[in-house]
Amino acid sequence: MIPAVCIAAANVERSGQRVVHSVDLTIPRGSWFGLIGANGSGKTSLLRALAGRLPFAGGSCRVDGIELAEDRAERALRFGFSPPADKLPDALRGRDVLELVGGKIDNIHPHLDTLYKALDLSPLLERWIGDCSAGMRQRIAIAAAFAGGHAFVILDEPFNWLDPVAIFDLREALREMVNGGLTLITALHDLSTLATACDEGLMLADGRVALTLSDEMLRIAAQNPQAFERQTINQLRSGAAR
Amino acid sequence: MVRATFTAWRDRATIALMLVVALTAIHGWCADHPWQIAAIAAFVASIMIGIGTGRLVARRLSFHAYDGLLAADALDTQARRYYLVAWLGIGLALLIVVTLIARPSLLIASAPGYIAGGLFGITTGNLKIPKRIIGTSRPKWTIQAWSRHPIAGAFGTVAVLLPLLPARTLEANALLAIVGVVTLLVVLMLSSVDDAVVRFMTIAGHQSSRIIVHYASGGVVFLAAAVPGCWIILGPGAASIVVLVGAVMLLILALRILAYQLFPKRIADLIVSVLVGLLMLTAYSLPPAMPFVALAIFWHLQRRTRAKRWLLA
Repeated sequence: MIPAVCIAAANVERSGQRVVHSVDLTIPRGSWFGLIGANGSGKTSLLRALAGRLPFAGGSCRVDGIELAEDRAERALRFGFSPPADKLPDALRGRDVLELVGGKIDNIHPHLDTLYKALDLSPLLERWIGDCSAGMRQRIAIAAAFAGGHAFVILDEPFNWLDPVAIFDLREALREMVNGGLTLITALHDLSTLATACDEGLMLADGRVALTLSDEMLRIAAQNPQAFERQTINQLRSGAAR
Repeated sequence: MVRATFTAWRDRATIALMLVVALTAIHGWCADHPWQIAAIAAFVASIMIGIGTGRLVARRLSFHAYDGLLAADALDTQARRYYLVAWLGIGLALLIVVTLIARPSLLIASAPGYIAGGLFGITTGNLKIPKRIIGTSRPKWTIQAWSRHPIAGAFGTVAVLLPLLPARTLEANALLAIVGVVTLLVVLMLSSVDDAVVRFMTIAGHQSSRIIVHYASGGVVFLAAAVPGCWIILGPGAASIVVLVGAVMLLILALRILAYQLFPKRIADLIVSVLVGLLMLTAYSLPPAMPFVALAIFWHLQRRTRAKRWLLA
C-alpha cells in the first residue's frame, strides 16, 4: 500500500539557514504520526514545508505516491493545516476564519465531525478573535485545519493553551477521526500523548532525525509511559548537548 | 522589522528611488504654487503627520507601561517625558529636513503644525472606541465587516442619491461639490482594508485577485448603481465625478491589498503613499503614460505576491 507521505533526504531553510537536514520519514495512511524534539529542533519548519507553507530546499517529498517536493502549492492544497493561533486576525469572527479556509459554514460542519463538540465551537463562531483567549484562538485554529475536509491534516502543537478537559476531548476526537481513516501529523511536546495516542513518531534534534519511533516502540511505551518519558528526555538532553 | 523587510538590494534601491521621487514631487509642487497655498498645505500636512506620530508614540508608551519589559520606566513621569520628547524630536528633525528640501520658507508653517499635531496625538493616542455601543459589540470591526458586503454598496448609493433630490435647485457647481464630497465619504467607508485579514487570506491560499474582489464588492456595487443614478438625476458631469472618485479609491484599495501581502502595515502604507504620489505626478506631467505606469506597478506587485500565497515564513 502506498504510504500517505514519504519524505527522503529533505532539507528546509529559513532566512538562508538550513534548519532541517536530510530527514527521512514515512507516514502510513490512516495513522497518527507524532513529531517531537526540543525547541528549535526543526519540527515546525518540517511541518510547514510538508504543508506547502515553506519550500523544501532539497530532497524528495511524495504525497499519495506523487512527487511534490518542487510543487509547494499542490502540497498546500493536499494538507489541512492549522494556522498559528496568533496569526488569526482580531477583526474576524470564528465563523469568518473557518469560512475563509473552508467555504460556507454549512459545508464545513460535516468535516468537523466529533471535533465540533470536542472544541466547543458553537460559542466561538460569533465571537471576535480579538475577544478570544489564547485557548479559544487555538480551538478555532485547530478547527480551521479540518474545515477543508482534507484526508491529511497537520497540526503544530495542538494541545498548547488548552485546558485539561479540552485536551482530553480533543485527543479522543482526533483518535476517533484517525480510526475513521484520517492521516494526522502533529508536532508534540507532551510525551504521554505521543506514547498513548500516536501510532508512529520521530524525534528531531538540531534538524536531524535522532530517533524513529515505530508502532512497536510506541505500543511498549504506552504500557510504561514513565519509563518512556525518562528514556525520551535523556535522548532529548543528549540531542541538545550535541 | 525595517531591516528584515528590505533585505534584498532591489528593495532598498526601490525605496531609495521612491524617496527621491517623493521628495522631487514635493519640491516641485511647493515651487509651482504661491507661498500662501504651499504654507496652508504644509501646515495641514504637518498637523496630520504630528497627530500620527503623537498617537504612535503614545501607544508605544502605553505598550511599555502595560505589556513591555520597561514598565517601571514607562510609568515614571520624567522618563515618559524624555521618551515623548525624544521621539517627537526625531520626527520634527526629519520634517525640518524635508521642508528645507521642499521650500525652506515653509518652516514657519510646518514646524508649529507638527508640534500642535504631536501634542494633540499624544493626548488622544490612547482614546479607544468603546467595545459596545448601542448593543453592538466591537462597532469598528462590525462596520468593517459590513462594509465589505454588496449591500453596503447599495446603502452607499442611497446615501449619495438621496441628498441630491431636494438639492436639485442649487447651482450646478455646488451640486457637483456635494456629489464629490458625499461620494468620497461613502467610498472611504467602503474601501477599508484590514492588513491582518489580508495576510491571513494569503496564508489560507487566496489569490490576490480573490482578496481584492472580497474587499471591493461593496465599492463595485456602489459604482454600478450610483453612476447611472447620478447620470439620471444630474447628468454626465456628476456621474463622471462618481466614476473618478470611485475608480481612484478602488485603485488605492487594490494597491494596499497587494502591499499588505508583501510588507508590514506601516511600510506598506508608506510604499502605497509613494506609489500614489508617483501616479499623480505622472498623471500631472505626462498623462498618456499614467495607465502604463499603473499597469507596471500592478504587474510588479502582483508578480511578487504570487510567491507569498500559502507561505508562512
